[in-house]
This record gives sequence, C-alpha cells and structure tokens, in this order.
Amino acid sequence: MSGASAVKALILTGFGLNCDYETAFAFEKAGACAHRVHINSLIYGDVRLADFQILAFGGGFSWGDDHGAGVIQALKLKNNIGKDLLDFVAGGKLVIGICNGFQALVNLGLLPGLDQDYTRRSVAITYNDCGNFRDQWARLVPDAESPCVFTKGLGVSDYPVRHGEGKVVAEPEVIERLVANRQVVFRYADENGAPANGAFPANPNGAVDDIAGICDPTGRIFGLMPHPEGYNHFGNHPDWPRQKAAAKRLGKSLEETITTGIRLFENGVNYIQSL
Amino acid sequence: MISNIEITLKQDLRDAEGQSLVKKASAYFGIKMDDARCINIVTVESDLSQDELETIRREVFTNPVIQESSLAPLDIDFHFCIWVGFRPGVRDNAGATAVEAVRDLLKKDFLVHENIYTSKRYCLTGADLTREDAEKIAGQILSNGIIQQYKVFGKDEWDKKIGADVKPAKVILNHTPGFDTMDIDTDEILAQISHERSLSLNPMDIPVIRGYFLDEKVLAERAQMGLSKPTDVELEYISQSRSDHCCHNTFNGIFRYTDTETGETTQENSLFKTYIKTPTLALKDTKDWVVSVLWDNAGVGSFDDENNYVITGETHNSPSNMEAYGGAITGIVGVYRDPMGTGLGSKLFMGSFGFCVGDINYNGSLKPPLHPRRLLDGVIEGVKDGGNKSGVPTTFGQTLFDPGYMGKALVFVTALGIMPKTVNGKPSHEKTTSPGELIIMSGGRVGKDGIHGVTASSKSFSENTPAGHVQIGDPYTQKKMHDFLLICRDEGLITFITDNGGGGLSSSVGESAMLSNGCEVWLDKVPLKYEGLDMWEIWISESQERMTIAIKPENLDRFMALSDLHEVESTVIGKYTDSGKLHIKYKDETCAYVDMDLLDKGFPAWEFEAVWTPPGARGLTEPVISTPTDFNGLLEQMLARPNICGKEWIIRQYDHEVQGGSVIKPLVGINRNIPTDASVTRPVLTSERGLAFSQSILPWYSKIDAYNMMACTIDEAVRRLIAVGGSLDHIGGVDNFCWPDIGYDARSNPDGKFKAAQLVRACRALKDACMAYGIPLLSGKDSMYVDGHLEGAFGERIKVSALETVQFSAVSLVSDVSRCVTLEPKTAGDLVYVLGSTGDELGASEYYEMFEKTGLNVPRVDFAKLKTLYKALEKAIDTELVASCHAVGRGGLGIHFSLVVMAGGLGLDINMAGLPLTDDLPLSSEKALFSESAGRFIVTVGPDKKQTFEKLCKGLPCACLGMVTDSHDRLKIASDGKPVADLTIETLDSAFNKTFGDKI
Repeated sequence: MSGASAVKALILTGFGLNCDYETAFAFEKAGACAHRVHINSLIYGDVRLADFQILAFGGGFSWGDDHGAGVIQALKLKNNIGKDLLDFVAGGKLVIGICNGFQALVNLGLLPGLDQDYTRRSVAITYNDCGNFRDQWARLVPDAESPCVFTKGLGVSDYPVRHGEGKVVAEPEVIERLVANRQVVFRYADENGAPANGAFPANPNGAVDDIAGICDPTGRIFGLMPHPEGYNHFGNHPDWPRQKAAAKRLGKSLEETITTGIRLFENGVNYIQSL
Repeated sequence: MISNIEITLKQDLRDAEGQSLVKKASAYFGIKMDDARCINIVTVESDLSQDELETIRREVFTNPVIQESSLAPLDIDFHFCIWVGFRPGVRDNAGATAVEAVRDLLKKDFLVHENIYTSKRYCLTGADLTREDAEKIAGQILSNGIIQQYKVFGKDEWDKKIGADVKPAKVILNHTPGFDTMDIDTDEILAQISHERSLSLNPMDIPVIRGYFLDEKVLAERAQMGLSKPTDVELEYISQSRSDHCCHNTFNGIFRYTDTETGETTQENSLFKTYIKTPTLALKDTKDWVVSVLWDNAGVGSFDDENNYVITGETHNSPSNMEAYGGAITGIVGVYRDPMGTGLGSKLFMGSFGFCVGDINYNGSLKPPLHPRRLLDGVIEGVKDGGNKSGVPTTFGQTLFDPGYMGKALVFVTALGIMPKTVNGKPSHEKTTSPGELIIMSGGRVGKDGIHGVTASSKSFSENTPAGHVQIGDPYTQKKMHDFLLICRDEGLITFITDNGGGGLSSSVGESAMLSNGCEVWLDKVPLKYEGLDMWEIWISESQERMTIAIKPENLDRFMALSDLHEVESTVIGKYTDSGKLHIKYKDETCAYVDMDLLDKGFPAWEFEAVWTPPGARGLTEPVISTPTDFNGLLEQMLARPNICGKEWIIRQYDHEVQGGSVIKPLVGINRNIPTDASVTRPVLTSERGLAFSQSILPWYSKIDAYNMMACTIDEAVRRLIAVGGSLDHIGGVDNFCWPDIGYDARSNPDGKFKAAQLVRACRALKDACMAYGIPLLSGKDSMYVDGHLEGAFGERIKVSALETVQFSAVSLVSDVSRCVTLEPKTAGDLVYVLGSTGDELGASEYYEMFEKTGLNVPRVDFAKLKTLYKALEKAIDTELVASCHAVGRGGLGIHFSLVVMAGGLGLDINMAGLPLTDDLPLSSEKALFSESAGRFIVTVGPDKKQTFEKLCKGLPCACLGMVTDSHDRLKIASDGKPVADLTIETLDSAFNKTFGDKI
C-alpha cells in the first residue's frame, strides 16, 4: 500500500538484525507502507523517525548478542537517538519489539514503562532454563483486558519462538504491577489455551508467570519473544497440512485465511488509521 | 592500563550455563558437583579513567535487573575455580563487540595497543571435587588447548584481591615483515623446502616449477622487477593453487581401472570431465532453468521470471576434528560466503548440515584428537551459532554414526541464496574483472589465521598436522557485510565479487585476475589484526569473513560511503590489469611477479591405480539368520539405534524458520518430532512458489560397492523431494564426496587401489543417476583424505578410515506450496499404499548391521523403472490425490511404517501379504520389513480418491496394504491374517526418542 495517507512503518536493520524482510512483508500485508532502515541512517539523520507512525525493533542477533541480548542495541540507540525515541513515544505512536527487539526495548527502558518512566530497566530477558537456543511453535493466550493495541480481538494464537535468551524475569513487585495493570499481554499456554504454568516445552524458556509479551501502560509499546511475522502465510504453521485436510472436509480453503500473525500487525495499522 | 570487570548473574537466579556444566560433568565423567556458577570477565586494556570504567561496567556490561558486577574479583564461594580464556590471536567476537559498544558510549577511539578481551571463570562447588576432576572439566569440557588456555585454582590458591588476574591475550610478534628468496638449484632442494614450509608440493610438480623459474625469458622479466629466484610469496601462491583442495587433482587425475574378475582394464582421464562436467553441460542444454554451472562459487538455477536461486555445499572436516566448535562455525559461515560471492551476489535464504561422527559412547583404547561425543557437541554448537547468527534458517540436517568417522569426522554444510535475475538491466549471474578496476577487500582483517589450512586438509590427520589453521567464525561481522554488499549490488557498484576461503587473497585475487589477465596488489594496504605478518602470510592467510570485490574507480566513493554506513571495513588493496602478470608489491617493492597463466604450464596430472574386486569375489556372502519370533522387541530396538532414532534436540537448536518462508519444517507430525523427507521454503515471500530441499548420506552400502552407494544415495535424495511435492522436471544436485586416501602405498595405504576403484565406480553411478533422472550438478566438492592415524593403548598409531561417503543434496522447484504434502496420515479411513517393489536387498542394511553382519545383496537402483513410478506419484501429488507421502529409507518398511504411525497419531492396520515384490520372489517377514530396496513410498489416499489414484498407478508396483484408523492407536502389521508386529504408538514413540531423550 502506498499514498500520502498510508501508515508508515519503520523496521530497523543492520548490526546483525535479521528478521527485517519478513517483518516488513507482514506490515505490508497488514496494509502499511514498510521501510527497512539501517540504524545508522537514523543516527546520521538520513532518515527521520518523526516521519513514521510505527517503529519495529525486529528479531536477530544485534551485536551478536554478546554482553546480553539487545543490550548494545539499546545502548547505541539511547546514546545517539534517545530523545527521538522518547518523542516518538510521547507522540502517541506505536512501537513493537519482537524477540531481539523485545530484549532491546526492556534494556532501553521503553518497557515496561511503569510510572511513565521510559528509561528505567526493571525487566530482564535472560537465558532459557533449558540451557539452549530453541526453535518451536508456542501457543499464546492473550489477556483480553490488556490495553495492548496489537492484540485487540486476538484469541489464542500460535507463533514460533526462536531464541536462546527468552526468559522474562523481574522482581516480584514489578511482575505484580504488570499483571495488575494488564500489561502482561501474552502468556505461554498449553494446547488447550490455558497458561502453561511453567511447564516445558509449552513455556519454552521458563519465563516467570509464563510471560511471553508485555506492553507499556498505554498499550502502544509492545514487546514479545514469539515471532508473529513468522506466521505471515498459512503454510508457516506446523499443522497446516492437517489444517488443510480438515478445512477441505468442511468444504473450506485454507489459502484464504488471514493468519493470526498478520492480524497482530493489522491491529497496529488499524489503530494508526483510526486516529 | 589493564582492568578486569567481573559480571555474574545474581545469586538467586538460575545459572543455565552452570547447570549445563553440572549435567555434562556428571554425564561424561561421572563427576558430581553441587553447583557451578559462571562469571564473565571483561579485560580492558586502555587508558580509561576510573569514572569511565565505572560507566562502561554499569552501562555496557551489567544488566541491573539480573546481574551484579565489580571492578574487583567477585567474592563467590567455590571448591575449585576454573578460568578459561582464548589463546592470543584467536578471534574473540565478544571482545570485538565490546570495543564497538565502548567506542560508541564514550566516543573514544581505541589506539593500536588498546583492546578489550573476554574470558570466563567457573566457580565449582562440591565437597568431593578433586583437582583431577577440575582439571578434567577444564581441559575436556570447558576448553580446547588449540584455541584456549585455562587455570585451575583451589581454594587455598585464590587471592580474593587479585582473582584470576587476567592479562590481555594479545599477539606480539616483534617481527619486521619481509620476504625471502628460495633456492631451487635441484629438485631435492625444492622438495626439502616444500617439506620444511609445509607446502605439500606434489613431487611431480617440482620440475615444472623449477622449469618455470629457470626459464631465461622469465628470469629476464623478473630481473627488471629486481627478482631472481622464486620468493616465498610465489612458492606459497603455487602451493595454494596446486593443492588438491583448490585444484581437484584427484578428480582431474588419470585412473587405470582394472576389474579383477573380468581382467579388463580401462583408463579414466578425468573423473570430473567424464562424470560431472559432460553430463551436466548436456543436461543444461535440455533444461532452460539451468542458468549457470561449473565455474562460479555456486550453481545458479531459475526460480521464477524475476529471480534465480544459487546452491552450493562444502565440508569442513579437518579443522572440526581438532576444534569442533571453531571448525564447524567457520565451516557454515564460510559456505555462506559462497552464495554471497556467486554472480554479483545473492541473499542467503537457507542452509543445512550433515554430521558424520564416531560412536559417541566409545570407550576403547584409541585416542582421537577429540572424543566423538565432545566433537558432536562442538559441531552442533558451531553450526548453531554460525547459522542462527547469520539469520539464515537451517531447514534440513542429518547426523550419522559409524566407527570409521572416528579417524576423521565429517561436517557438511550447504547454502542456498536467491538473487534478482538482473541487476541494472544486466544478468546477475555474469561477472568479470577489467583492467583499471580496483581490488577491494571487505569484511574482517588479516591475521595468522588458517595459514596452510588448504594444504592441511589435503593430507590425512597426523601428529604433525599444524594446529594453527583452526579459527572461530564471526557471523556478526559477516552478516553486516552481507547486508552491505546486497545494497552495493542493487546500486550496480559491483562488477565482480568472490569470497576469501581456502587460500585467502592468493585464491580470490589470483583467480579473479585471470579474467582481466593481470593485477597489481599492494599488500601493505591490507588491514591486519596485528603487526608483524610476512608478505606471504598476508597473501595466503585464511582469516575469515572477507570478500574480494572489483569496482570501477568512479564508484569508489559511493561504495565506501555505504561501507561506512554499515560499519564494514573495506580497503582498496590493488588494481586489475591486463599485463599478463600477477604482480605483488609491499611498499613499492616487488615480492611476486609471475605469469597469470603459470598454473596452466603443463603441470602433470596425478595418476592412480584402481583395482576392483567385486563383493562376491571379496568373500562377502549373505548372513544366515532365521526369522525372529519377537518383532515387537526387534522394532523397538531398531527404532532406538543411533542412526534411526529421533534427534530432535539437534534440530531445535537451529532456527529453521527465520526469514518467514518456512513451509515444510525439518520436523513434522502431530508431535513435531519426526524428520521430514525434505524441507520446503518460500524464498520470495510474495510468491507461492517454493524450493524443496533434501539430502542423503548412505555410506554403509560402500562396504559392498560404492556404485550402489552412490546410486542409492541419489535415488533417496530424489525420492525425498518427490515425496513432498517436488518435480522431476526440475531437480538440481550437489555432490559432496568424502573419500579415504586413494593413493596406493604398500606400507601406508595398502588398500588404496581398491578405494580408488570405489571412487571410479561412485562417479560412474553419479553420471548414470544424473542422466537418468535429468539432474544437472549445480555444484559439488571433494574432500579426499578422510583418514586418521589414532594413538592406541601402547603408543602405536592405527589408521582409521571413514567409509566412502557422499552427501547428495537435491533441490526442486514447487510451483504452488499449498500442494505440498507431509508424511503423516491425516484422516482415519484413508487407505495405505506401498509404491515400489521390495526385493531381497538387505546388504549393508540397518537390520544386518544390528547383527554385525554386512551381507552381499546391496540395494540396486533401476533408474528407468523408478522414473516412471516417480512421474506417476508426482502427478498424484500435484492433483491432490495423496493425503500423505513418505519416502521409505534406511531401516525399510518396518521402521518407516513406525515413523508414519507416530507422525499421524492414528492407528495403522497393515497386511504385508499384498506387498509388491521384485520379480515376484516371496520374502520372509523380516526381509519384507527391513529390506532397503530403493524407490519405495508409503502413501495414504482418501477413499474418495481411491479409483483415480489406482488408475494413475495402473501397471506400476503399487498395492493397498491397509487403512488408517482411529479405532486403536497401534501399528498392527500382519501377513495373511497372521500377526507379525503389534505395538502402541506410545511404545514406538518411547523407543524412538529415548536414545537422546535427556538432551535438549
């Protein structure tokens, strides 16, 4: 989609980030005009963050994940365009951080954003309890009461997780506040959609309270470990051949489905359009 | 000033790395520990103020939520503390990113002598721990002496103020760079030089080299440049270029092949030309999807009207056998540079692996450089970090075990990329260099890394193999370069690009300068990791993550601006000319000046004696084993065998779906734990097209005849593609040969003639299969010395050779991914068919191997017959008649019915009585269930499609043997009403997953 009124989404690239193409594709499919922009293009001023309505911190291994996943990325952005980021957030725009991007958001302090403080680090995302990188699909149950704009109307959703450091941890009082504020957007769930209660592999990393994603109190900044852009096509789901067979028996076609991955991005785009 | 920052997880948090160490120490050595905590140490050598150190400690290196840190040693209790750090000169990726972060935060430049280094220490607690235990953990789990050093501290040796007292692992050479001239008065003298400098020159090449340098015209030309005798730079260049690794002397050699049974002798003048090049070029003429083969870093095929894909495969065996992690990560990151350097550069979209290792539970007396268990752990981790951090999905992979691989384990890595058909209106797969263009080196810097890596892999491993060629790949640097080069390509800045792999600049510049017919290289411009490298070292260093690029001078500014934006180091290191000379200078002094066509100057072909004795004449016979009475127990045990059982733990460590194009994943089925026949990926997200990809490795059949090994391997790879929806109209192949030494020597290699004959036979099968199925070989490589001389119990060394092994990779175009099928039955009531005939072909089968037998009746492939069957099945899948399809492979129908039933989670009732048989010869139950005849599938079909499907298969070996059911959850196999095997899915599942069940 293009044109003057199109929602413009900026997807960060460079320094070892790697999900930029499919994240841009998912945004385009959701109706946005997506731009892949190198972090240094923002820092050098070649591209202005203010010209966009959605900022996506995508997956990957920024700076090789050395010294903590997302840590150096957060530091680099804070040092060089920290004010632009805070202005972007203050302007009521949307930020999404996926996997490595989520790790960057908590290290920047943009999440969880308690007490309107968007610089404090109070949540960490650390090594999986299983001790290894892991690629699997996870079932996620959203908090329907969450202010998160990206998950409005979304039911139980399956997305892939692909990380070695995905365990969300924080002091108990921080977790309590997140839960109370409905900032815990997604929880890892069992096959019936009930929270996994820490059971591996439904909860793939041992995250406290099965937390897979959180938002800030406004619901406009959202970070999650699973990859919604990894479900951009019906064929991404590991069960699609059986889903296709089942749909066929009902006389339906799987090809027309809009995946829950794309719907998450659509929610973001629709929110901006509704402003 | 040197400062150490120590960082650790807060004590109340679980230390996953420490826990994994506790587990490994117990599993590997039975060492019991209560706990292990890991402390990261950052060693800063710089003139930072205390405030600045405090700032970087807090801002860069410490996560306040979960970590604590200090500029003094952290006071954490232990019984033993182990410090592990890199040896000087080994790539420290985390150290390099730390420099980037500190530079950005403090806006400070690091001076030449300043740097940041990383290391770790582990605090082990356990009252029963001994120093011997700690040394074992340090030396055999936590470090490898080739790249790392360690110190063990007991409680009483620990000074709380000094701690581990880490010093920078810094390379100081104190050497003034120069070059030497070499004496070549006689062949013997040059041979001696070759030996002393590890040049590995072939004795037959020596007179040719001398002849060149003693030629009067050459001498006169060289005199003008101030040169007389050859320099070390020149001899190293020739050594690199003439190595078997670069030159493929074996595949271009002359083989005299004698069949002892017929007495007939034939001469093979070049296996490469006869069995690879000629057939592939013939097929290229008939298949318009073949875009570019046989010359570039990877082959190129057409994907759609706008895009081409590229594919190549490599091995990285020798380094992985000495430093498994470093070797494997360097291997995968290295093979990923091939598509980046194919045509004008492609974007990587998938990779795969193949590991062949010894018995991981080996406890005999032989001492391989690394125990197979440790080697496997290391290569798995190397491919994990290399693949995942490159942002490329690892969509397929296999792991095999055989005692022969203890001599040398194999690490196969394969890479696929995608690129637009045209760049700036010109075909992207064409490229050349022209006089006046600049030679640019981009990416990493040059150190002493990998020097003589090429020549080392051209020899068997022995105690004299130089260890210095082991490196650690840096996927982060390479990923930045990958992104940068794609933008340069799209802006039309690149006229030629190739990677720096084996041989370094010597190969990349040497080969690219052939096109313009000359070059001038300024070695003093090449950025170095540390000072003091001699010219020849700079020229042949294999330091990783580098590409060589040709650009026109007018594009230099734009190229460099983009390079800066992406924070990739790029340097002009010379220019292409048409002088006909390879001219290398260092600060205006010439250190090499040879003719570009020097390598064509009549170097003699290598020669081999190949003597074939057929298996019967070698004394192989079928074993005598009566029909078992307990098929249930038998199946359970077979499913648990290492070469059959589930290896989910390896696959899950690899990101197999990044880039968002995954259609069929490496693991399928309701529990997502059954290996797929082939993976399917959409490399272009806006398209419904996909590429199916499969690989096969079936070395066991080489015990009988490598012809059949090759035929079965290719057939299985093809069969796997067909099973998911691939098409015979478009299959590209990649052959990766790994062969033991074939050069006969009465003492050191007495069976060399037989192994040479096996190679000839495998090549013949390669051609037969490729011509029959219409498979052009898009790429291929050979690794010719998979032997090891392992130390035994009494100081003796025993040669252990791997089985003659080929990994065959195959890729096929799928026009609509929604028509792909997976192997699991989906609906109760569907009919179960077996396609393809089963014969008495258990030679070298998994079944015989279980009884430590080899047998004689190796599976044979009737390509013409199978092609008809595959065509029919392809049509059935394309018209959506088939609900599931699985290619039957190792272990035969017994194993593969089990996989199918586990994948579907529904019961199967099978009656073997109707099984299509080869020549209608009756088979006993165990032969029917465990024969490994080629060309067979298990297919399920909905009852509504029965008629159409059967009509399509009319006249073909195809029979309905049963039904998918939800009335029970068992695999029930009967024959003529008599039960043969009857097991629950749960029992099968437990057998299949228990072998490596405790690994994650």
